[in-house]
Amino acid sequence: MKRFRNPTLINKILSALAVAVIFAALVWISMKRIGLNLDFSTLFEYKKRLFDGFKMTIIISFASLIFSMVLGMLIAMGQRSRILVICYACRAYIQIIRGTPLLVQIYFFFYIVGTAWGIDNRYIAGVIILSIFEGAYISEIIRGGIESIDKQEYEIARSIGLTDIQTFRLVTFPILMARILPALAGQLASIIKDSSLLSVIAVIELTQTTQEISAANFQMFENYIFLGLLYFILTFAVSMLTKWLEGRYKHENRD
Amino acid sequence: MKIEIKGICHNFGGQQVLRNIDYTDEFNSLAVIGPSGAGKSTLLRIIGGLLIPSTGELILDNKKISFSEKALWEYRRNISFVFQSHGLFEHMTACENITLPLIHTFGYNKTDALQSAVKLLSRFGLFEEKNKYPSQLSGGQQQRIAIARAVAASPNLMLLDEPTSALDPELTSEVLDMLGELQNEGLKTIIVTHEMGFALKACEKAIFICDNTIVESGDSAEIFTNPRSEQLKAFLDKVLEWSI
Amino acid sequence: MKRMAKIIIMSALSVLIMIAALTGCTASKANNTLIVGMELAYPPFETKDTNGAPSGISTDLANDLAKYLGRPVKIQDIAWTGLIPSLQTGKVDVVISSMTITDERKKTVDFSDPYAHSYLALLVNKKSNVTTAADLNKKGIVVDIKIGTTANTYADKNLTNATVNVLASENACVTEVVQGKADVFIYDQLTIYRQNQSNLDSTKAIMIPIQDKEDWGMAVKKGNTELLNKINTFIAKYKSDGGFEKLTQKYLPQEKKTFDSLGFPWFFD
Repeated sequence: MKRFRNPTLINKILSALAVAVIFAALVWISMKRIGLNLDFSTLFEYKKRLFDGFKMTIIISFASLIFSMVLGMLIAMGQRSRILVICYACRAYIQIIRGTPLLVQIYFFFYIVGTAWGIDNRYIAGVIILSIFEGAYISEIIRGGIESIDKQEYEIARSIGLTDIQTFRLVTFPILMARILPALAGQLASIIKDSSLLSVIAVIELTQTTQEISAANFQMFENYIFLGLLYFILTFAVSMLTKWLEGRYKHENRD
Repeated sequence: MKIEIKGICHNFGGQQVLRNIDYTDEFNSLAVIGPSGAGKSTLLRIIGGLLIPSTGELILDNKKISFSEKALWEYRRNISFVFQSHGLFEHMTACENITLPLIHTFGYNKTDALQSAVKLLSRFGLFEEKNKYPSQLSGGQQQRIAIARAVAASPNLMLLDEPTSALDPELTSEVLDMLGELQNEGLKTIIVTHEMGFALKACEKAIFICDNTIVESGDSAEIFTNPRSEQLKAFLDKVLEWSI
Repeated sequence: MKRMAKIIIMSALSVLIMIAALTGCTASKANNTLIVGMELAYPPFETKDTNGAPSGISTDLANDLAKYLGRPVKIQDIAWTGLIPSLQTGKVDVVISSMTITDERKKTVDFSDPYAHSYLALLVNKKSNVTTAADLNKKGIVVDIKIGTTANTYADKNLTNATVNVLASENACVTEVVQGKADVFIYDQLTIYRQNQSNLDSTKAIMIPIQDKEDWGMAVKKGNTELLNKINTFIAKYKSDGGFEKLTQKYLPQEKKTFDSLGFPWFFD
């Protein structure tokens, strides 16, 4: 006799548990094979530094998110400019920034451009570099979003007498935001992870802190596994937030 | 309303979409009929101030319309346009769609705008839908809300571009009923349509556009029952072929 | 039916995992190669030739050690902070990378007898006011160090007032001193001397040792006494055979002369 009454919840829990067990087992077995014994208690004495690094990663990530969004919006609009110089400059920026590694950009900007123009503070330089980098990706997201808006929306706005500024504020911007929200959230997760590369100019965020601790106590595995866990917590929080926001905007999208 | 269209021509992308459009008449309601691609929608947009013609003049009630963006912006404030489909903003509720132009173009305050919107919605049986988004509404409801938005600010003239062409047949009549009611109250309309019955019964005058120019025009009662040109005869035969 | 399929898949996965765990608990090396780990970023001790192959003093030492042990040799280029973990996981047999013997490191690996020693010195930006080690621990002084080095430990212990930047790259540290982003770079005497020579107009070198000498040792996995004893015998023999003099002549003749004239003790004395 088949029973179909709500197997789903138990099924869900068991399946989730099974996946967790399989992943954990794979990791544990790999460690046993190379004779590794992990002792996570060594992390305790560094908890203040780790917490400070965690905070700095959050601060840098959110500051970069804001600046890169502003920059991304300017560049996306600049690409549509009728003044060729602006249009070309924006396109060149996108091509170059998206086409070169962040590491190269960090070194280039901090040691060459930054020195030439007197930007010595590593944290400010770090946020600027990260914003410039992520701005190129965000501008492409925004461009895709703008191009996905039906031309008729603008015609409707004209027909009901809205000015260009009003059209942007009341029509373009809200529709755009709703459409690019998932991609933006993905970009925030990227920002959080990319910020770890700022460690090469000794910005004291989470990764740099962990590297310094590792160099002193040699507990490389405990330190980096814990590091991964902390980043995962951050990016997981972002994805949960996004799912919630998407739910609020869903009914507004044309299905 | 008196309309004078003198020598309007429009080229687009190397094609001549309209040629030698000349028409002068007094009307309350005007139907524009004709085969697809003949230029009807283009002419409507020119009259609506949404498109600047390549050449020609447009005079409404003895006022010449100046074809500069600034002048047209002023002109458009007194004219409403209803599109064939998807004429509402997807990210706003029915009510917000109606209040938007009232607040931002005509400077109503929020309470007055809301009052007007609710009054209109209730009048046309759409009160239950006021907080719904276009994606949650049927095509007929969307069109009726678009028309409600169009009349909310008491325009001098309302232009409709095939308002029922995208609808399921059973929803057509609710839209046409609403239009008929508004026309009876004195709303001046120009409507591009394929609904010959409506054009004949509800519109006083009619223009037949074929091959990018006006082939025949006059009282709708006249031209529908006694088409003079070959093209109009052929067109009516085709359109009315499968009517009951 | 769907439920059955799920149960079958789960069981199959579990069985696979168990098999993987039971078999191959320890992977024994197929051959006898001596795998030597070093960070090839520290000329002339550990570096690469124009073809990208390992070269330098430690490479020669590794080759000679392998010859002594009668085993083929393979040199692995590993980032500095990864050297000790490579020993811990058995990825390399021995680390010969000019590594200082410290108590901290002795907790995780075993060191051979010292085969060389060095001292820490300072590379200072010409415009900076730093003249001795005592000038370092002041608020506002910016000190760069390379991560995981003995300078790192020195800074952690002593430089609580200064701003300390920990970088992964020696070049980045030098660049920062040259550009004035940092006042001082703490590293070993020889490198400081050479970097100063390359940047005479922007830097000065303070070669006076800032603390006691540091002994270099070869590191093996903790408990690998068999290999360790062999290495110690090799080092003693190498010393008495004059092997280190030969290395000095081959790679650092100019520098030895300079050190002698300045009165600094040489690496291999």
